[in-house]
Amino acid sequence: MHLFLVKTIQAYRLVVFFLALTCAPSLHTGLLGQPDLLDVLNEGVDEPALPVTATFKDTRIVNGQSNETPAGGVLHFVIAHRFGRINEGAYALWGLDNATMRMAFDYGITDRFSLGVARNTLGKTYEGSLKARLIRQKTGSQSFPFGVTWYSVAMCDGLRWENPDRENFFSSRLSYVHQLVLTRKWNESLSLALTPSYLHRNLVATQQDEHDRWAVGVGGRYKISSRFSLNAEYFAQIPKPTSLSNGLSLGVDIETGGHVFQLHVTNARAMFERGFIFETPGSWLKGDLYFGFNLSRVFTVRSR
Amino acid sequence: MQKKAPWTAFALVLILWSQHVELSAQQFLARNGEVSFTSSTPVEDIAASSKQMSCILDASTGAFAFQIPIRSFHFEKALMEEHFNENYMESAQFPNGIFKGNFVNWNAATLKDGKPHPLEARGELTIHGVTVQRTISGTITWKDGKWVMQAQFKVPTAAHEIAIPDVVKEKIAKEIQVNVNATLTAK
Repeated sequence: MHLFLVKTIQAYRLVVFFLALTCAPSLHTGLLGQPDLLDVLNEGVDEPALPVTATFKDTRIVNGQSNETPAGGVLHFVIAHRFGRINEGAYALWGLDNATMRMAFDYGITDRFSLGVARNTLGKTYEGSLKARLIRQKTGSQSFPFGVTWYSVAMCDGLRWENPDRENFFSSRLSYVHQLVLTRKWNESLSLALTPSYLHRNLVATQQDEHDRWAVGVGGRYKISSRFSLNAEYFAQIPKPTSLSNGLSLGVDIETGGHVFQLHVTNARAMFERGFIFETPGSWLKGDLYFGFNLSRVFTVRSR
Repeated sequence: MQKKAPWTAFALVLILWSQHVELSAQQFLARNGEVSFTSSTPVEDIAASSKQMSCILDASTGAFAFQIPIRSFHFEKALMEEHFNENYMESAQFPNGIFKGNFVNWNAATLKDGKPHPLEARGELTIHGVTVQRTISGTITWKDGKWVMQAQFKVPTAAHEIAIPDVVKEKIAKEIQVNVNATLTAK
């Protein structure tokens, strides 16, 4: 009889314990007031995995590539100028008399893949390029800390042959640069890029020049306001030939609705990768600097 | 006395438990509500929409809340979407639009006749991190065990401190017309 009583009390305690457990949420509502409905709404829901957007304002930081590509169906048009050397002095209005120009069209096939063509007055150089966002920086439940973008450009020298009498090959006009652009948006203001770059030239000027060359670029932007940022980039050649300089560029981005203006000062006059990374003779220390701008505009060709 | 106490506790626990069951049965949820908005000016019409609104209704009290991730709004033009997030809504800092409030004169029993009823919700609307007291009118219909809600209201950009620079003032309306649609099912 006594044993039976003990067992009943034990069973009873178990039931109370179980019921108390299951009604814990209602104790919360019943005795402590309503729970926040938003908490109920968000309970057990993962933060969505979102790609980080607007790491840079434009497809280029100054000369070098950013991770950005035109969105799918968008045509991105760039007119860029580099004026003459600032140290040419007042006679050439500090270089403004001697502009070189680049005109470029990049089209977004998808949000992550674009094709481009361009023409430069410098060396009458044509460009054909492709750019793909391989991996995007992401936040949320499937976060990834940085983005990986691939850029390849084929450049074609358009100048007439120096020696038309000898046998010349079209392939001699061609050179190629391949890059991986590693980018991270650290916060709303600061984004950085690291850009390992490889150059192949089919024809080089002298026997001492190498056909294949390597470089690493570092670049970044710091947003001062939502429509204005400071940009900088530097390309280190590995190894650097003694006759050449590494390219250093400083600039600003100004966004005005549909346009992005990029104004900058750089020691690289060329606006195509072979030139501004691997063939820059001008030196910052000697004042061989060029003022220039990129002006970009997007056109939505195909609706989403 | 010592014998009585456990039974009182047992009864209390039972009452709370039954309440809990009833309470959770009266919560209604939607995870894919639709929100669209338009900005109309003589210069330009801008529209965007999202199907990622989530909302919750406590049918026992008429308490109501909804939440919409700002990044989920899609525009026809990609650049507009970027500017919307980067320059106007600053969605990295203020990721959600939120309404929290109560339906005025809520009475679930009289609303459950299958007909649309006009109803007002009074509460706090938070957009761009700025909370404004609002009364929003809409309709609610009880249909096949679900609550169907619709509402149209205007959001003045200035009230939520959304800065619009002078150069684009002609292109962006001072009041944005917002449409909300959701079907809430029992939790």
